Amino acid sequence: MSGMHLSKEFFELIKSIGESKSKQEEDRIILNEIAVLKKKLENDKPGSISTAIPGAPGGGVASSGNTLTTNKKKAREFLVRVLYVEMLGHDGSFGYIKAVELAASQSIVHKRTGYMVCACCLSPEHEFRFMLVNQMQRDLISSNLLESCGALIAVTSLITPDLVGTVSTQVIGLLDHNAETVRKKAIVALHRLYQLSPEAVPQNELIEKVRKMLCDRDPGVMGATLNVIESLARVNVAPFKDLVPSLISILKQICERRLPSEYDYHRIPAPWMQMKIVRILSVIGKNDVQASEGMYEILGDCLRKAEEAGINASNAIVYECIRCITLIYPNPVLLDAAGSSISRFLSSRSQNLRYLGVTGLASIVERHPKYAADHQLAVIECLEDKDDTLLRKTLDLLYRMTNPVNVEFITDRLLHFLRGSTDPYLKKDLTGKICTIAERYAPNNGWYVRTVTELFKIAGDLVDPAVATNLMSLVAEGTGNEDGDEEADMVLRKQAVELYVTLLASAPNRMNRVLVETLAWVLGEYGYLSSIMSLDAIIDGMCKLLQSGNTAKLGGGAPSTRRLILSAIMKMVSQYGSCPAAAAKVIDDYTKSSDPDAQKRCLEFQTLLTTAPHLLVEVFPVDASLEDVDVDENLSFLNGLVAEAVSNGARPYQKPEDDDDDDMYSGSLSAETANAFKMTPYEKPTQTYAQGRMAGMGSTNMGPGGAANTPLPPGGSPTHHATPNPVQAVNPAQPQLQLRNVANVWGKQAPLPPAPAAVSTPHVPAPASYGGVGGGFASPAPASYGGFGAPPTPAAAPVKTAEQLEKERLAAALFGGISATTQTPAAPPAHPIPVATPQMSTPMVSPPIPAATPVAAPVSAPAPAVTAPAPEMDLLDMGSWGADTGAMAVATPSTIDMLAPTPIAEAAAPAPPPPPAPPAQPEQTPAPASIDPFADAGLLDGITSAPLSSFGLSDAMGSAKFEYGGVAVAPLTITTPQFGERWGQCPSTHPVNVPSSSSASTLSKFMDICVRAGMHKVEEIAATNEGICACMAGGGTAVALVHGKISPFSGGQSRVDVTVKSTDPQLGGTLAMYLQNMIR
Amino acid sequence: MIRFFLLQNRQGKTRLSKWYVPPPTGNAANASTTSNGLSPGSNPALYTTNNQTEAEKARIESEVHRLVTSRDKKYTNFIEYNNYKLIYRRYAGLFFTIAVDVQDNELSFLESIHLFVELLDSYFANVCELDIVFNFNKVYMILDEYMLAGEIEETSKKEILDRVKFLEKLD
Repeated sequence: MSGMHLSKEFFELIKSIGESKSKQEEDRIILNEIAVLKKKLENDKPGSISTAIPGAPGGGVASSGNTLTTNKKKAREFLVRVLYVEMLGHDGSFGYIKAVELAASQSIVHKRTGYMVCACCLSPEHEFRFMLVNQMQRDLISSNLLESCGALIAVTSLITPDLVGTVSTQVIGLLDHNAETVRKKAIVALHRLYQLSPEAVPQNELIEKVRKMLCDRDPGVMGATLNVIESLARVNVAPFKDLVPSLISILKQICERRLPSEYDYHRIPAPWMQMKIVRILSVIGKNDVQASEGMYEILGDCLRKAEEAGINASNAIVYECIRCITLIYPNPVLLDAAGSSISRFLSSRSQNLRYLGVTGLASIVERHPKYAADHQLAVIECLEDKDDTLLRKTLDLLYRMTNPVNVEFITDRLLHFLRGSTDPYLKKDLTGKICTIAERYAPNNGWYVRTVTELFKIAGDLVDPAVATNLMSLVAEGTGNEDGDEEADMVLRKQAVELYVTLLASAPNRMNRVLVETLAWVLGEYGYLSSIMSLDAIIDGMCKLLQSGNTAKLGGGAPSTRRLILSAIMKMVSQYGSCPAAAAKVIDDYTKSSDPDAQKRCLEFQTLLTTAPHLLVEVFPVDASLEDVDVDENLSFLNGLVAEAVSNGARPYQKPEDDDDDDMYSGSLSAETANAFKMTPYEKPTQTYAQGRMAGMGSTNMGPGGAANTPLPPGGSPTHHATPNPVQAVNPAQPQLQLRNVANVWGKQAPLPPAPAAVSTPHVPAPASYGGVGGGFASPAPASYGGFGAPPTPAAAPVKTAEQLEKERLAAALFGGISATTQTPAAPPAHPIPVATPQMSTPMVSPPIPAATPVAAPVSAPAPAVTAPAPEMDLLDMGSWGADTGAMAVATPSTIDMLAPTPIAEAAAPAPPPPPAPPAQPEQTPAPASIDPFADAGLLDGITSAPLSSFGLSDAMGSAKFEYGGVAVAPLTITTPQFGERWGQCPSTHPVNVPSSSSASTLSKFMDICVRAGMHKVEEIAATNEGICACMAGGGTAVALVHGKISPFSGGQSRVDVTVKSTDPQLGGTLAMYLQNMIR
Repeated sequence: MIRFFLLQNRQGKTRLSKWYVPPPTGNAANASTTSNGLSPGSNPALYTTNNQTEAEKARIESEVHRLVTSRDKKYTNFIEYNNYKLIYRRYAGLFFTIAVDVQDNELSFLESIHLFVELLDSYFANVCELDIVFNFNKVYMILDEYMLAGEIEETSKKEILDRVKFLEKLD
């Protein structure tokens, strides 16, 4: 058939192109062809184009009868050749006008060619499109259905948003056309018009037509309509909700092969229509129980029938069903069917099917993690696959199945992949994912700092600046607890400092902006903590960093980075006590800087250094980024000066009438409190403002935003100061708040009521502002959070948490029986609220606190779980999730415990304040069952009875024996020296800190707990309140050593610090978590 | 939704290219602003001159060619490309590539390609590259009866071929 209707000329052209040896040769041939075509157009001139354009077809004056104008066949070939030229990448615009002309031809074939060339060649804003409108309008209403069809096709590709109004009426008119082929195209075209310009097509009319056409007698029309319904329903599902029965009936008919056999494809009945309907069902069934329930049966049928065929087309249907099943309100039977289809895909040898398997798994695993359990090996294999596409999907899967246990492994993988990636889209995506899981699941603060710094190193330019702010405030605030966990905070700071010092020493010229700025701030604040490099060496390094060419280029040469480094140098000089030569030189250099801000800082610093060095410490207070900067708004320190001036005859200050500047100041404080403040006259400030301390010499802290009460590290961009001020976090869109809360979770300190002594002054103002905001949010919170709602909480948290909680609650309520692990993700977000309770509301020991304790207890369980595993175990421990889920009975009560803490709190409340474990115990024990991925059915069996039967102490304690791998651990009888010897040999360490415990308030109680757990008491050192125990598991293959220190304080409570060391990280982690639960 | 449909040979010559969503031009190519630019109307700011649009099409087409030809036969037939997905399939020396949205069903479009090839095969009776080269305008016509406005419009082979043949007869 080849070559028909072609002139010899064109045939030769194509042939010679086909035979051309090089791109150059091809270009030469095409350029020649362009010349020929232009000549043809030139020869056409006598006919005058203007007379030949639409409206005057065939109106040429040509005499030869052989010009393009008169000979349509030639004109058509001319256009085809123009199109060919364009396809080979050359400009054929000289011929477009002929295409417009041909669109007006009487002959349908020529008309179609004209339209087609226009659609292929004219860019959206090409002015020729306007010339075609008239023609399209005429063709749309033509009595010849072929002309209508041609025009409809043209409409879909040639109409631009501003032209929609010109044809929409005609297109709507064609929806009722007699010929199905016209109706089919008309509905698609109308939808296209709607997409282009929603205002120009009345939505109601479109929806009404679409609903009607779904029931068209012609399957082709119905099939085309499905596309439109899907697209519309994705935007607004409401008008299509009631279509479920119709859709189901259509799908049923298709599955039962009641459609004409011409729609079969490889003996599968109308696969595309099946998929479309399933897709629409998934859109409608999402978040709609009733609609979902209606479609279970047909989905099952559809899936089963498709499973039987086992070819590509049917697998595509299976895949669509899987996605639908995971999206709609879940049904266990269907989920299992989907799960086994996923298994089949994953184990397939076809790479495409494996890809679909991974994608399907990713869509199911988020809500139903148990399905991941069977596929660890397959997933690991996919991770090692060379196919980039498959690998990316697998990473996405990993991201979705992240939980507190495997977060380290998964983050490692993602970082590794990010390092090797060059695709900007992928990098951005991965960066976001890493930030998300690092914030959500970080096992501890040190890990978070390391991970985020690593991320900065790899892709700092893609990171949301808020992440850097979070990191810095985390370093500054530590766990966020005011109650004397200063030690852990210092360890974190030291880790951060050493991390950055190493960076500074190793790669000063390869850092990006966010990394440099973070580094400058951390070292500036805490550089003195470094033990691997002396402070003056760090100052030196910073000076080099400042002067490096790389730094100058950062942020497009923005001065803020350099200002930050300068500030850091100044802070460290102040810490160091004298100014190293390098720093002096740098600062001197910058007194001549073209950046006025930097210049001012340096000049001020120089003056201070030379005239009043003792003030440096005041100006750069050490570790004071969290301290409130006291701003004497009344400028009372000037009073003396003023009085003197007045007494010397100066005119007293007259307050201007138009004095609303305060708005700006209070506005930056808090929108909520601003009004309240304005209503009443100013009273004495609640805080006594220290006299004349300038937190920075720069002018920045005098700015309206910073001056209020934000603690300012000297200089730098305002964002870096933002987080320490809780009010800043009101904006719920900022991820930082979430981190702030999660940060509390990470702390090794269990979030328990603070000791009375811990009521520290700097944060006293905080509860007040929290209270205002938190109260506002508490009331709209769903009733189920009643227990949580009341306590004042950080503002944005309830928004996010409530949403998540709601989802999790739904999911957990539904799948409590299916998967115990469902709650794992629920726990961290739930955290901040109970944490906040004791901390914010009543900072003193009083009856409410014990009541709150049980609430916090089960929820805090994931924290220890997190520290447990060794990296290579991470993925595999999914297996035990599966085992977990076998014990449904266990899962259910724990679900209730987790998510409806209110009754528990009430139940526990009547108990007298000092009593030890009993009230808390039954609640605690199920917690590990739901969260501990290592726990086995054996352990769970032992515990199940506890919450159900009674609150009895003996029951709970009796079943409290610690089991590992389903077997109780055995006491390891060793002596103290042996203990010491083994201590050093154990590779994994798991610290447990309980800031206030009543169940282990004395050493002997602590030792009892250990012994009851099945350990051997090695030694009890009453003098120092320390005790050591040892146990072994697996017949001695794994050994765990425990060291505990009890620091009692008033109220019968004690702080307990336990370190678990083990040869087996899993054992150590589980034991640590177990102990944390027991020590309450 | 389909963004474009490409037919290229192994050497990278485009045999057919149909764009349902014009490519973003200028620096928008590497910005994420195009993520919701499904319909050209939603982002009129991206319109530029004919030359820019054509240049961007040519750039993407050559990139697609590079991507699909460099992949191992054993690999998946899917590639994540910018903010959408490429589904490709090779028949002898010809690569058929469809670009679709990320949430679209890969396998379904893989079969859509195959259905198109079956259509060509029926129409040309044992289609080969030369048929397509010499009759690319007809191939466009078949495509227009098969896909419309970025959606699969008709999946009945008979119906599509009847339409095209009817048009043919009028010629």
